[in-house]
Amino acid sequence: MVLLQPDPFLNELTSMFEKSSEKGSVWVTLKRSSLKSKAQRNKMKTAGSPIEYRCLVRATDGKKTISTSVGIKDHQRFQASYATILKAHMTALKKRERKDKKKVMGTDNKEGDSKKKPKKA
Amino acid sequence: MVYITSWDEFVEKSVQLFQADPESTRYSVKYRHCEGKLVLKVTDNRECLKFKTETAQDAKKMEKLNNIFFTLMARGPDADISEAAGKEQAEAQPTKKGRGRKQ
Repeated sequence: MVLLQPDPFLNELTSMFEKSSEKGSVWVTLKRSSLKSKAQRNKMKTAGSPIEYRCLVRATDGKKTISTSVGIKDHQRFQASYATILKAHMTALKKRERKDKKKVMGTDNKEGDSKKKPKKA
Repeated sequence: MVYITSWDEFVEKSVQLFQADPESTRYSVKYRHCEGKLVLKVTDNRECLKFKTETAQDAKKMEKLNNIFFTLMARGPDADISEAAGKEQAEAQPTKKGRGRKQ
């Protein structure tokens, strides 16, 4: 498991998406963690200090796993970049539910079927 | 595996699950480009909620959910969720006492 800084993690995530575009999947998991062992956490609790939690993000393509931990300060920025990456890569999803599937117009239909049928008066 | 069909129900239940046990709840996303499928899973190792989709519309909703989870996880389970601010304002804002509007 490779632990990276948020920015290199995002770069690796991008390349993972690109590699898995033909076949394979990409898993991304989000979990809250303080990154400290239970003993340390208990000590901090008794000492009265607030435990700083971070968001652990893990990504894998089935073979390689990468991870990063995002704190409160970085999370807004990370969130924005992460959203951009997802939007850029999740292109295989259907744009719109096709109501009539009579004719198969081919596999790649971005805006194939006429959205607005021109009404001929 | 419990597949939930309604998006809103999935969001509500997963947030509840997280707030009940923030230590062990995790949120996973699996994307398969070759099949054009997206599956979301939220579990606390006891209960599991899943949502599956093939539409880009749901992917946008998933992005919002990502934001919610990032906020919850980084700031704490009691953090203000930006989406919650839009829908549920009942808890946050108590009834405002009018300052003598009624004449």
